[in-house]
Amino acid sequence: MMVRDTLSFSWTAIKTQPLRVILIVLAMSIGITSVTILTALGESARLYIVNEFQALGTNLIIVLPGRTETTGGQPPLFGATPRDLTLADANALYRSHHIAAIAPISVGAAPVSIRGLEREVTILGSTSALRRVRHLSLSKGHFLPEMDIDRTLSICVIGQTIKDELFARQQAVGQWLRINDRRFRVIGVLASEGQSIGVDFDDMVIVPVASAQALFNTQSLFRILVETKSKEGMYKAVDDIRELIKLRHEGEDDVTLITQDSVVNTFDEILVALTLTVASIASISLAVAGILVMNVMWVSVTQRTAEIGLLKALGATQRQILWLFLTEAAMVSIAGALSGLLLGKVILLILQVSYPEFPLYLPMWAVFSALAVALLTALIFGVLPARQAAKMNAVTALNKR
Amino acid sequence: MQYFDIINLAYKTVISHKLRSILTALGMVIGIASVIVLTSIGRGVHAFVLTEFTQFGTNLIAVFPGKTTTLGLSGATISTVRPLSIADAISLGELENIIAALPLVQGNARIETGKKQRRTTVLGVGAAVPEIWKIKVARGRFLPKNEQANPRAFAVLGDKLAAQLFAKTSPLGQRIRIGNDRYRVLGVMEKKGQMMGFDMDDTVYIPTAKALEMFNRESVMEIDLLYNKNTQVKAIEKQISNLLQRRHGREDFSIITQDQMLKSMDSILNILTLAVAALGGISLLVGSVGILTIMTVAVSERISEIGLLRAVGAEKAMIFKLFLSEALVLSVIGGVIGIFLGIFIVQSIKFMVPGLPVQLAWGYICTAFIISLLIGVIAGVIPAIKAARLRPLEALRSE
Repeated sequence: MMVRDTLSFSWTAIKTQPLRVILIVLAMSIGITSVTILTALGESARLYIVNEFQALGTNLIIVLPGRTETTGGQPPLFGATPRDLTLADANALYRSHHIAAIAPISVGAAPVSIRGLEREVTILGSTSALRRVRHLSLSKGHFLPEMDIDRTLSICVIGQTIKDELFARQQAVGQWLRINDRRFRVIGVLASEGQSIGVDFDDMVIVPVASAQALFNTQSLFRILVETKSKEGMYKAVDDIRELIKLRHEGEDDVTLITQDSVVNTFDEILVALTLTVASIASISLAVAGILVMNVMWVSVTQRTAEIGLLKALGATQRQILWLFLTEAAMVSIAGALSGLLLGKVILLILQVSYPEFPLYLPMWAVFSALAVALLTALIFGVLPARQAAKMNAVTALNKR
Repeated sequence: MQYFDIINLAYKTVISHKLRSILTALGMVIGIASVIVLTSIGRGVHAFVLTEFTQFGTNLIAVFPGKTTTLGLSGATISTVRPLSIADAISLGELENIIAALPLVQGNARIETGKKQRRTTVLGVGAAVPEIWKIKVARGRFLPKNEQANPRAFAVLGDKLAAQLFAKTSPLGQRIRIGNDRYRVLGVMEKKGQMMGFDMDDTVYIPTAKALEMFNRESVMEIDLLYNKNTQVKAIEKQISNLLQRRHGREDFSIITQDQMLKSMDSILNILTLAVAALGGISLLVGSVGILTIMTVAVSERISEIGLLRAVGAEKAMIFKLFLSEALVLSVIGGVIGIFLGIFIVQSIKFMVPGLPVQLAWGYICTAFIISLLIGVIAGVIPAIKAARLRPLEALRSE
């Protein structure tokens, strides 16, 4: 028998039992649909978060004051330390050849007011380098100018939310506002960024770092953001920073360095694991669908005993009979997989329309693996009934009728 | 025919097609078992997280500096122009129905003894830690009461830190250096383990005022308050708010009660369990399509049998009931075996991976069983109607 004959034979067999086949296709497609949707959701979440982290900057190293030796614990993200990271420390980092830009950061909260309107706002002290390091864009005016790191200047850049709340429908640039008891002139308004991993630049006022330190009466920096010249230079820069700080801190290694790479990788790994777990839980349903395929194939083998006997009498080999039934199972499963993929795609489209801000993406490998898994399921679960059919004795089979 | 007869007949038909029935029921078994295992894990995680949170007790209130603090961190925790001071904590502690107040500063420093040193977490706290955080002192005693404003340089070590610095010798009464200051060790805390990803054993506790001085800060990061269990949270919240507003002249702080935290935690975790249950439910859905398919096959196979039954006087309703109960028998057998398998798997998980919190979610188990019944009914109804509608004469002739 030729391949074409096998296909057309199976097709005829399928056509005679439309309801049964539709039900198997349905079962298969429920499984495939759920696997595709869940994989797409997981994969999109992964891409979303990885993108968010990459948008933080390029070749970024974050320097935190303090270091714990607790194994497996989290880095000291917000604790205080007896020896601060200072502006002089930040300045000293420029001695490394691998570093392109340094943005010291000092953070605090203070009331911002203008003409009786008051709002408690996060104040971020930094330098002109922050714009480059964090890829910030402005909607109006200028960012902080280049100047000496330790100079205080009464100027500020405000986020979009602050502009809307305090300067509704008026020009903000050039106006004065009051942060606690000091006056600052607005020189720029940030373009709306939206939330990016917990940091809301829209609801923030950026001032020169020395001014922020004066405002909060502190010497210490919250973090230092460092951009390296190249990706390769990143690890050399890490060593340099450690050396430089150690030199300045009387030989004590008391800072924690976090590279952007390691953060992205950690999240990447977690989310891949999560996606795989969820997808494999959903694929239990594919196993259930496979059992159904097996069951129905078994029924159809018993029902078509006489037919098998006839085929055998006409000289069909065991291998041909086996393939006949396997092809039938495979055709049904692939039909299930395709309709499942289609349904999944439709549901994803609907989700995408309802949540446009979260980009959904169905990876190609998920499509192919769905098809492959469906085919594999059919072959694995179809092989037992098909072998039973193939092994039948021609005479007894014919006798059945 | 009696109901007993119907069920008996249905049971015998199911048994006569052994392989087919086993496979059909297997679909249900896998579906139900996966729902049970997944919800048990969900429920286990739920219980685990809630106990993590309630080990401090539920009558806790935390006050943070800054107005915009949500569950995350606001800039005010790091530095603020309107500090929350130790004096605030002391006067909060004197409020009616407040049992204890704990001003907290957290930081990181180097701890040194004669030869050894270790960089780790420093907690600036008050005497109320054992009471509020429910941690016991293993040896010695905790920081003394009534000297929050002007404390002596005493320190209490976490279990792991004590082991790291002093190995086998007793740390009590020894001098240690934290940052640039010298402290005398007053006690060692008992082992507490990880809590919310934070190792409570690798810490040193020193008086808040000392910590503020060392870290060169004005404001504490948080004030934890323990209140009398028998009072209303709302009233206490109001009391605290009033007092602080009087002291500061404005509302520049945020209050978060343990109740609020627990409630939002609880609802998030419930949604999570439900989502996992739905994930397992997909298999159940596929399994029910399986029953539907097999019942359709069964009806078409047994047309002549139906004809015979009708010919000897069985009514339409009877045929309907017969096929419906066959579907029910299949699904109930599948359901019951699935429940046992699920419980078995959950128990083995408990036995083999003691670290993974699992807890049988009986509510979900009952729901799963009822759903398996429903599936039997729904999957059986269409084929049963089809069978009942067959005309006896044609049915008999079909073979």
